[in-house]
Amino acid sequence: MIAANGFAMTHFQAFLLFAAVISVAFGFLGRRRPKDRIKYILWSFFLFLAVGIGIAWAMYPFSR
Amino acid sequence: MADEITQQPQQVTPAQSPGSDVRRERLAWAIGVAGWLLPGLGHALQRMWGRALVVFLAVGLLVVTGATMRGNVFRSNGGDAFDTLGYVADLGTGCFYMAARALERDGADVSHADGDYGTRFLATAGVLNLLAALHAYEAARGRKA
Repeated sequence: MIAANGFAMTHFQAFLLFAAVISVAFGFLGRRRPKDRIKYILWSFFLFLAVGIGIAWAMYPFSR
Repeated sequence: MADEITQQPQQVTPAQSPGSDVRRERLAWAIGVAGWLLPGLGHALQRMWGRALVVFLAVGLLVVTGATMRGNVFRSNGGDAFDTLGYVADLGTGCFYMAARALERDGADVSHADGDYGTRFLATAGVLNLLAALHAYEAARGRKA
């Protein structure tokens, strides 16, 4: 979706895009074999999601 | 026996000669700088095609997304330390820094969450490219593969 004032994404979409791009880059830079890369990418992506959602829930009481 | 071993002159092979080390170090620096200037070029010069493509696409995607979200592309005349840090991070994207400035015709808008995310995307792209350039430099020195 491209809005009049720029490219608009929801918080979660931006979060997913960020996690996916960085995980793939880390996987390719950090590992050599394809199988190791896939494992690293999936694990890194999962950790991004887990930590991000965890921090979001930890901040939830302060949002009100 | 031990004396015979210790008295043997150390042979210097061509691959380990000081001149070769200096050449290799200079080449590694050149590859690192090339990787910084154009994301992925440092790996492409070493025929690491997969890594080169991924670095180019990842940095490019983050820059284009960040700029179109109207993130803040910092300039050299920043007012405080955070602006300077942001400028250094943005400059890490190499030639994509100019692309980000060209893409962001309407200027930054960090009054919305999108603009704020865009700023982070741009800074992340720069730091990621610096990391990739460092990786290419280390690979050229033979420390990583």
